[in-house]
Amino acid sequence: MEISMTLRVIIDVLIGLGVFFAFAGVVGIIRMPDCFCRMQSSTNIATLGLFLALIGGLVYAIFVERNAATAAKIAFIAVIYIIQNPAGGHAIAKAAYNRGNEHLKSVVDDLANADEAEQPATLAKEGDE
Amino acid sequence: MTQMPELYYFAAIYVALALILIFRLVKGPSVVDRAVAADSMEILTDVALVLVALASGRGIFLDIAVVTAMLGFVGVVLVARYLEGAL
Amino acid sequence: MKSLRKTTFPAVISTFVICFVFWLLITWSLAVQELIAGAVVSLAVSLFAARFFIHEKAFWFLNPVKLIVGLIYCIVIFPIELIKANLDVAFRALSPKPRVNPGFIKVPVGLKSDYGKAMLANSITLTPGTITVDIEQGKNDTGNDECFFYIHWIDVKEKDRVKAGDIIKGTMEKWVRRIFV
Repeated sequence: MEISMTLRVIIDVLIGLGVFFAFAGVVGIIRMPDCFCRMQSSTNIATLGLFLALIGGLVYAIFVERNAATAAKIAFIAVIYIIQNPAGGHAIAKAAYNRGNEHLKSVVDDLANADEAEQPATLAKEGDE
Repeated sequence: MTQMPELYYFAAIYVALALILIFRLVKGPSVVDRAVAADSMEILTDVALVLVALASGRGIFLDIAVVTAMLGFVGVVLVARYLEGAL
Repeated sequence: MKSLRKTTFPAVISTFVICFVFWLLITWSLAVQELIAGAVVSLAVSLFAARFFIHEKAFWFLNPVKLIVGLIYCIVIFPIELIKANLDVAFRALSPKPRVNPGFIKVPVGLKSDYGKAMLANSITLTPGTITVDIEQGKNDTGNDECFFYIHWIDVKEKDRVKAGDIIKGTMEKWVRRIFV
């Protein structure tokens, strides 16, 4: 079963672009000055760095291997990441803010004002639990 | 039977990127940085697993990739809940 | 534990379908024994876990118009926003000195249903450059429901809340409103 050259180039380009975005995300995590900005760069890995490689793998599984189980599992991995990634990112961002991680020189910080204004409400909610 | 041997090289690049992140995992000033770096490492190794499974034609790596994808989320939420003091 | 909601029958059915499809995907066989074992396990799991998953009307996707609009959103609209934001953040990280201008901003949201708010918040978090940190719901002076997202934005171009919301949400809110109201 010989693979056609066009298909091979398409798969290589997709996975190569995924490698580029993953590289940009890794460089961002190493270089960014602030923990929230590092989080934004990690989203870079988790979206296109992951999905372009998975789409390339999906094309390979459908047109080269012709195996339905492989394609279904790869699509399922993509769906898992689409659902769970924003939930995890939101949870860790909220924990980082509430813990008082130093974030450098925010231009606007609406959340700080909101916390001061809403302190009694949140305390009441914690007591309720 | 490998029809596209370059998939192995792409998987090697992803693993190398994950190894670079060990720097942030060791140095990271706060727990949140370490958690984010660990989550990103998990995603990169997951992609490498998928690529190796396709290149070698063994389906067992794909099952491992599915389970890894779900466990990484549990780890991140665990760290977040612990930092919030709700655990 | 009074905050637990009641388990409704449509919630159990939809959770059961999701669990059973997952089982079929993992085992990948149609033998009768496998199907029966999967059905029993899925039923047990859905009886316990349905109340955590489904809170509103569970069968919205049986409406074909909304299903088609949702597919268009997932295949065309959202990837365009995703690619634009990805390129922006990637070149921001790769530039010689990382150009960041971060801030937390409060953005008004005009959606009403829980599913709509969750979908918009997840879309915003999944786009690089913006993370939804917190959500605030309540009633305003005239008694209408109102909702705000607190968003961490890597490059604050606009300090006014409404204009910043237009930049961040882009075309996403319009399309989510067509799906979930």
